[in-house]
Amino acid sequence: MAIAHYLQNIDWLVEFSESVLAYPIVLSIHLTCIALFGGMILVTDLRLLGLTFKSLTITDVVTSLRPWKRVGGTVMIAMGLPLAACDAEKYAPNPFFWTKMITLGLIGVHALIFRPIVYSRTEELDRSPVIPTKAKVAAILSLGLWTTMFVMGRLIAYWD
Amino acid sequence: MILQNAIADVLNNTEWAFALAECVHIGGFAIGVGSIALVDFRMLNLGLRHETAGRILRYTEPWTLFALVFVIFSGFALYMSQVDIYLVNLIFPYKMYVLVAALIYNFTVHRKVATMENPPPLMSKLVAIVSLLLWVSVVFGGIFTGFLV
Repeated sequence: MAIAHYLQNIDWLVEFSESVLAYPIVLSIHLTCIALFGGMILVTDLRLLGLTFKSLTITDVVTSLRPWKRVGGTVMIAMGLPLAACDAEKYAPNPFFWTKMITLGLIGVHALIFRPIVYSRTEELDRSPVIPTKAKVAAILSLGLWTTMFVMGRLIAYWD
Repeated sequence: MILQNAIADVLNNTEWAFALAECVHIGGFAIGVGSIALVDFRMLNLGLRHETAGRILRYTEPWTLFALVFVIFSGFALYMSQVDIYLVNLIFPYKMYVLVAALIYNFTVHRKVATMENPPPLMSKLVAIVSLLLWVSVVFGGIFTGFLV
């Protein structure tokens, strides 16, 4: 709680949370990234499940969207930090916020597990006559994790 | 009037209904705008280059339509729950104008150029940029509706 109190009272964060324009602009960018970046995750996962974009190889979809997902993810997190920090005392006891953060951690674990065996081996997946189970598992878990992340983000506002 | 009361009643008096409507609204636009953005990224030559913009549009159009239906219905329910507030809101009418412009643009100019066999590259890029700007403006309009009352 002391940390939350300290964070929330940093000068520029106080100004940020009281500003008429900066706060909603940062929030809008955060949400725009959800749309741009969310669409790319959805396409990647649905392609891994073999449900769409079948005229493109898995390699095409994964590698051509990878840099944009990185940009989107970075901007999204960069915008999320001040949004949470400027209201730290309200976020610190909020169970939805912590569920969201744990989900974010699990997304990291997902990447650690599946990058070496799925996302970095797309050519192998493309050569396989049927899409291997490990790729489908990775896709379903990814969809589940990102949906949880999104829903928890929205629910943060509903806890008091 | 009766419909408005019924919708407002459910959204304002059940603990989860408003949150659910908001989740559907934002989740829907994420998929709707996200799927349009994939076509735009291709038109800008920024991704999925092994496929034409026209084919990407054909793949994603069902999701776009499906998602937009959800966005509009949930948005209508959210509007109905607090009509008085929206009627005096300074930003909300602009959000609606831009939304209508974005929808018309998406299914006319954007669709036409995305599905062209060999569109002039500059035209294709310009059309994609306008599309992204219009949809991002709708998102900003939505957030600002909540902040500048």
